Amino acid sequence: MILLTIALRSVWKNRRRSLATLLSIAVGFTAINLFSGYIQDTYTGLRLTAIHYEGLGHVTLAKPGFFERGGVNPAKYIFSRDELQRLRRLVEEQPEVKLTTPSLGVSGLVSNGKISTIFLADGEEPESAAQLRALPSMDRTWQQDSLDPRQPSGGLVSSGLAALLGVEAGGAATLLSTTLDGQTNALDLDVLGTWDTGTSATNDKLLRLPLEYVQRLLDTEGASRLVVLLRDDASADAFRDRLQPILKQAGIEAEIRTWEELSVFYRQVKNLFDLIFLFLFSIVFIVVLMGIVNTLTMSVMERVREIGTLRAIGMRRSGVLRLFALEGGVLGLLGCLVGVVLTLLIGSIINGSQLSYTPPSSSSPVPLAVMILPMQMLTLVGLLSVVSMLAACVPARRAAQLEVVDALGHV
Amino acid sequence: MTLIKLERVTKDYRLGRTAVHALRGIDLSFARGEFAALWGPSGSGKSSLLNLIGLVDVPTSGELFLDGRNTAGLDDGERADLRNRQIGIVFQSFNLISVLTALENVMLPLTLAGTSSAVARRAALLRLGQVGLEAQANQRPDQLSGGQRQRVAIARALVTDPLVVIADEPTANLDAATGHQIIELMRSLNRSQSVTFVFSTHDPRLLDAVDRLIRLSDGVIVDKKEAAA
Repeated sequence: MILLTIALRSVWKNRRRSLATLLSIAVGFTAINLFSGYIQDTYTGLRLTAIHYEGLGHVTLAKPGFFERGGVNPAKYIFSRDELQRLRRLVEEQPEVKLTTPSLGVSGLVSNGKISTIFLADGEEPESAAQLRALPSMDRTWQQDSLDPRQPSGGLVSSGLAALLGVEAGGAATLLSTTLDGQTNALDLDVLGTWDTGTSATNDKLLRLPLEYVQRLLDTEGASRLVVLLRDDASADAFRDRLQPILKQAGIEAEIRTWEELSVFYRQVKNLFDLIFLFLFSIVFIVVLMGIVNTLTMSVMERVREIGTLRAIGMRRSGVLRLFALEGGVLGLLGCLVGVVLTLLIGSIINGSQLSYTPPSSSSPVPLAVMILPMQMLTLVGLLSVVSMLAACVPARRAAQLEVVDALGHV
Repeated sequence: MTLIKLERVTKDYRLGRTAVHALRGIDLSFARGEFAALWGPSGSGKSSLLNLIGLVDVPTSGELFLDGRNTAGLDDGERADLRNRQIGIVFQSFNLISVLTALENVMLPLTLAGTSSAVARRAALLRLGQVGLEAQANQRPDQLSGGQRQRVAIARALVTDPLVVIADEPTANLDAATGHQIIELMRSLNRSQSVTFVFSTHDPRLLDAVDRLIRLSDGVIVDKKEAAA
């Protein structure tokens, strides 16, 4: 207790110097938390986009090899109607599963009679796909039309493609593709609406079509994928690991991929942000380390006689070490507490100002928001306080090694 | 009864490339309850000898016994514990911890020894009372006069009931009247509580007050005599 009293009062006594160190820790702490809050918000947005908006679900099941070579030879990787029904029944029996929806991909040419261009499309079951695409939380909203089960020839066109073709809701187009047997096939499409895919790379190519429509276009009754939506608290990785042996036991050959494995964009963004975060964290770590070492080295130099006195009246070397480590910890802790206040203040200003920006490769602006992460802040408070204590050990060790008689004679 | 005994103690320092022989074969002992002074010109070895007795320094050769225990071979931690429990030190410049109050300064040796806060507080208040500073218990050193600071230092030195209090020029930084009061205080504590005091000093008033004078010159004892007082 007496050590803590000396540590606290020494920090207060040298308050001008302490304040400089404390502020550098606070600013670093705030920068880490705001950036981390921003990237967590972005990850959450991207996760919801991938699972719901893009319709990847939590996991996707397909025939082995589909994810690598399905585009080259689609016929080889189609689940027949019976296979699909059996697979779907088995998956839906699992307690984590909220819903399943089959999907069948197709590509070809889309034409308005004057212009033709390539398209990529997913055929989906209107009812279950609409549920998959509905957002689970109310804090994020997006406008997305659904397919209409009463209109078997009605599809949705990505906004870039619609602009290119000059079509809008109520309009019509023709899709040209080849059946799984290699025959050319064409079908008319009623445009039910348009939607923004969110990325410029796909916004001029994608269509969303009823599964039956795509089956007619490809002349098949099956589907290439079964998309699975899990309950909110379930882990996609854990479900995949649990489902794999169940499928094997049932004699169903299927490969399972999580949304994270399928969403290349999410992985790229996450890898980039994680790297930037590591870079930022390393800088803050070094600033904290150097700030504490510098402050306490000066403190040790000024307090040699005090150290000598403490040692002369019976403090052990370990006591001196603890005293300065405590001072470092106090500085770190106070810096973090100021950082918590700054994070909450700046975070609420950012979140309250309704700012938005358009990220690279995105086709529409997204809101700029930072998540306030109490557990992470608490962890960081602990981590930086411990780091501050450890940093203080460098000058503290020097102080502890002083010979008593030399320290007492120091002027 | 012998409390402190030094046998053929030497202390050498290195000053650049030069070896300084601060003490050259000191044989000396102090009895329990003595009020003794080391005196001599600057550089005679007074402070070096006091540092050895106070266990803040180690002899180059020779042996030092404290209450019959040979202090040679003690590690740093054991020496710290002995300083804490059995030796009180009063410094020329008081050496109070500036961020602690007078009471906390006096409590400090007990707190370091692991004594509970309540017990340490009671003992410290008692000692502050003995040096006449109970009213200043909650004042910081910078709010106290030089004489008051030295009284706090004496209270701190006495709070663990040590075997011996060593004091390096305790009146050197005080005016004549305050120095006199400090001498009187230490003398009365010596007489009333049989605390052993060993000083180094130039102060003739202090020399007049002690029971025994040990005169040092050039690292050797040149005169040991019982004082008239």
